[in-house]
Amino acid sequence: MIGDPYQILGVSQNASNDEIKKAYRELSRKYHPDSYVDNPLAGLAEEKFKEVQEAYKQVMDMRENGSSSGFSGTSSYSGNSSSDDMAKYNSARTYINARQYAQASNILAGMQNRSGEWHYLYAVTSMGTGNNMEALNHAQQAVSMDPNNKEYANFLNQLQMRGNRYQTTGGGFGQRQTGGLGTGNLCCDLFCADQLCECMGGDLCSCM
Amino acid sequence: MFGYVTAYKPELKMKDFSKYKAYYCGLCKTLQRNYGFKGQMTLSYDMTFLIVLMTSLYECPTTKEENRCVVHPIGKREMLLNEITEYVADINIVLSYYHFVDDWMDERSQAGLAGLRLFRKAYVRIESKYPHKCAVIKNALRRLHNLEKNDETNIDKVAGCFGDLMGELLVYKKDLWEEDLRRTGFYLGKFVYLMDAYDDIEKDIKSGNYNPLKNSYMEDEQKSITSEYEVQCNTMLTMMMAECTESFERLPCVENIDILRNILYAGVWNKYDKKRKEKYQDEIQSIEDEILVN
Repeated sequence: MIGDPYQILGVSQNASNDEIKKAYRELSRKYHPDSYVDNPLAGLAEEKFKEVQEAYKQVMDMRENGSSSGFSGTSSYSGNSSSDDMAKYNSARTYINARQYAQASNILAGMQNRSGEWHYLYAVTSMGTGNNMEALNHAQQAVSMDPNNKEYANFLNQLQMRGNRYQTTGGGFGQRQTGGLGTGNLCCDLFCADQLCECMGGDLCSCM
Repeated sequence: MFGYVTAYKPELKMKDFSKYKAYYCGLCKTLQRNYGFKGQMTLSYDMTFLIVLMTSLYECPTTKEENRCVVHPIGKREMLLNEITEYVADINIVLSYYHFVDDWMDERSQAGLAGLRLFRKAYVRIESKYPHKCAVIKNALRRLHNLEKNDETNIDKVAGCFGDLMGELLVYKKDLWEEDLRRTGFYLGKFVYLMDAYDDIEKDIKSGNYNPLKNSYMEDEQKSITSEYEVQCNTMLTMMMAECTESFERLPCVENIDILRNILYAGVWNKYDKKRKEKYQDEIQSIEDEILVN
């Protein structure tokens, strides 16, 4: 384990992502092994170089986890399922937690009864294997089957939020001329998801 | 490839645009030097993006040259070249070769056969240089070919093959950036595949060719910019780019970041916006008028 990654990079915790990238660049150039060939400090520099790389990765991971709710190992599912199905859901969750999506997918594929929980777990698994359209479809299915489940609604919302974030960030890097239709439908989808959550007393997007 | 991964010129600074151009000309020059005129014919802007991205990430020593070129006979052109340019030129030849193989296998087209013969020697040489990469590309294209033949309707499955291919292209080295680079490429590849399907849908339906969006296009009777089909395509394409840029933003790219973001957040939509403008001209006009009135 290394020390405080922000300190290693010499930036504050409030630094923007671009500032962190710049700081990383400067340090990695400074300690790059190529600049220490035949130098007695080569060993030390390499150690520093690796430390800086690790710190950078760590900061990026921390920031990413901060923005997503993460997947929990325990089920919030309250529907009627046989104990056999419940056991399967639980082991699928364990696999998902360990990022072993192929195994999770195998378990789910072998199940007959497709409840909201099934669709939700299938959606998370699909996302893990890069099948983001299937993830969206099954997340929508899960939410429509079990509209009161916060975990499902959160996941669906998160998928849509990412698209929304792309569009808002994108505006800053180049405003496309799309005839007033640039934002498409994602906001609308989000609005629907938000309405849905308000029904259950929560407010997923404070911006609306 | 398809010409979808390009810059959005109106929003790019002049100095960035010249730089982008110089990488493009550098790739053209490398293709010509290593593979002659036939190499130059395979040039595309998509590949220029790969060069700018990997050059930014690896900060490879880059040389600036000024050369004359056939396409622009007056004056000299600035060109930027480095080891990535060499790599991308090789990969470009491999993709062109497989493209001809596909044409020949599918339609027994004479052009395919001619291309195959033309690139065969160069391809064999590159394959021995990057055996693993070529095997991954070949495998992805074969899977895609079979899925298309069987009229696969699962979007993730077909687009995913092209995603795997692009992901592999972006992994220049096995290092700590591999995962983020592969994911960036994977979703960019899925985006490109779907964008191509979106762009060609009317043509493919007319000619009876495979298109993964066919069902959803046919089911939707209402031909409007707000139709379910259009909304679905917009959501899909946006979600692909959302995942692509999420991984991209984790990479420590600083140099040429404005060019890269211009491409990923705006440029990739050039053809999409153009197509929608043509397709729904009147509808867009009336919406714009309404906005002006309010």
